[in-house]
Amino acid sequence: MINAVRSELLKMRTMPGVWVCFGLAFPLTVLFMTAVFAGAGGFPGHTFYFVHTLNQERILLGAGYLGITFLAPITGVICITSEYRQKTITDTLISTPVRSRVLGAKVLVTSYWAILMAVLTLVVALAVGLPWNSSLGGTTSSVLDQAGAVIPGLVAASILLGLFGLGFGVLVKNQVAGILITIGTTFILEGILIALARAIFHYNLNWLPSSAAAALAGAVARGGFGGGNGHAPDLLAWWQGGLAMLGWGLIPLTIGYFTTFRRDVT
Amino acid sequence: MTTGAAAIRGLPIEFTGLSKHFGSVVAVDDLAFTVEPGRVTGFLGPNGSGKTTTLRMLLGLVAPSSGQATIGGRFYRDIPNPTGLVGAVLEATSFHPSRRARTHLRMVARAGGHDEARADVVLDLVGLTADAKRKVGGFSMGMRQRLELATALIGDPDVLILDEPSNGLDPQGIAWLREFMRFLAGEGRTVLVSSHLLSEMAQTIDNAVIISHGQLKAQGSLESITAGISQTSMHARSPEADRLCAVLTGADMRFRRLAPDVVAVDGVTPEQLGPLLASQQIVLYELTNEGADLEAIFLELTSGLGFNEVGKPT
Repeated sequence: MINAVRSELLKMRTMPGVWVCFGLAFPLTVLFMTAVFAGAGGFPGHTFYFVHTLNQERILLGAGYLGITFLAPITGVICITSEYRQKTITDTLISTPVRSRVLGAKVLVTSYWAILMAVLTLVVALAVGLPWNSSLGGTTSSVLDQAGAVIPGLVAASILLGLFGLGFGVLVKNQVAGILITIGTTFILEGILIALARAIFHYNLNWLPSSAAAALAGAVARGGFGGGNGHAPDLLAWWQGGLAMLGWGLIPLTIGYFTTFRRDVT
Repeated sequence: MTTGAAAIRGLPIEFTGLSKHFGSVVAVDDLAFTVEPGRVTGFLGPNGSGKTTTLRMLLGLVAPSSGQATIGGRFYRDIPNPTGLVGAVLEATSFHPSRRARTHLRMVARAGGHDEARADVVLDLVGLTADAKRKVGGFSMGMRQRLELATALIGDPDVLILDEPSNGLDPQGIAWLREFMRFLAGEGRTVLVSSHLLSEMAQTIDNAVIISHGQLKAQGSLESITAGISQTSMHARSPEADRLCAVLTGADMRFRRLAPDVVAVDGVTPEQLGPLLASQQIVLYELTNEGADLEAIFLELTSGLGFNEVGKPT
């Protein structure tokens, strides 16, 4: 298993698509931070204002979350579907013929890269966001005090979003389809379903992928996406969100393993 | 074409009652043969005869419908770090185009638990040292084939399985490949190489296994296979090739149209063919005795049928 993981780590490192995702995480984090500073004050004469509420401080630190919600799943999709797109799956399975071992290695490597992505966005928040906030008159220590509330949820959400992408990638094998399904589900279909459920059945459909990830990301997502009061009633508890996300990753992964991934490689 | 006195380090490959059905299509049908170590064994058959499916079953990529294929008595998937024992090059595999040759090999070395320094050793072995840092996307077909061979050799395996390795190679590359396979077998390894061209493999292989429509047609040394058939072929070059074909059809002789003006007539002697053509006043520019035509034998074995007037198997 260790050999397979080491090989997969090198494999991921040499995939341009993965680096594109990482490259996009940086500007998206900066973009979202800009929006945070722009929305922090709303006072005449100030385009940007320093963060000064608990939620604003948390959102600033976790400004990479928005990018992670679609870049982490894409990384997971690429991890498996590039094998089929580039026809390297044969060589992979010749090197590691036990397929569960290949998939296990991909789960670990996707998680590893999802953690790196979360860390990258945190580094950007610290390197760009904190000096910017200070220059606007804010205090660094109050933002850093929120690290304990923000970082675990951000990292966990990133990992499970990556596995969500990996799961659908295993299931469909086609890279474009995998990316469209995960992103389409997260950003388009989910919003429609939530609105329909609310309008027709008066049901709070809060266990779909991006809502579940938001619940897991907790402090960041509640402040940014859950109504801005830190107690958004629409979201699940963080642990419920974590379990739901785990399901969104593991269910397609398991179905994919027992169907497409174990099929003949011809 | 034996391999000299090198110690046998390879393992036998055994196929026992191996079959594969894709729906109603029978790709491989009750195949049974053994590949001996220390020799180059050609696994021959026309395109679509089931060669690649058989090799994929051997490597655990395709599940057999029945029967089994083992290497040294073990299933491929049960061999720990299998690339240290078995090196395989399969048709229709590929590389990530943006990966460098050395990186690709380091990746395979890691997966098999081998020293990553082996990447440079095998690159040297296949003559790609100068291209180690180049991205595979820019490689020619011949270079890709060499890189595939390097991939198979990364774990210094005792068993080599090569599926159509000469596809896309130029004559120089094919000559190199022949030498290379002989060299590997000379070290006592088991070498199983598939091809759809017997003539291309004839100078390289010690043993041949010939299949058609997924069924075993012949196996053994080339001499033993050809001895049982005693196939000869005459090549006639004539400006009246159409009339020549008509005469041959009338005489119930088997022939193949090799070119607009060249016809190969199988299973006849010059003494039989010469007088016939003279009696019909057919102009000949050339009449040569090609002796045992391996391709004709191959066609006969794999089709199991005769030839019609346009030279195609009936």
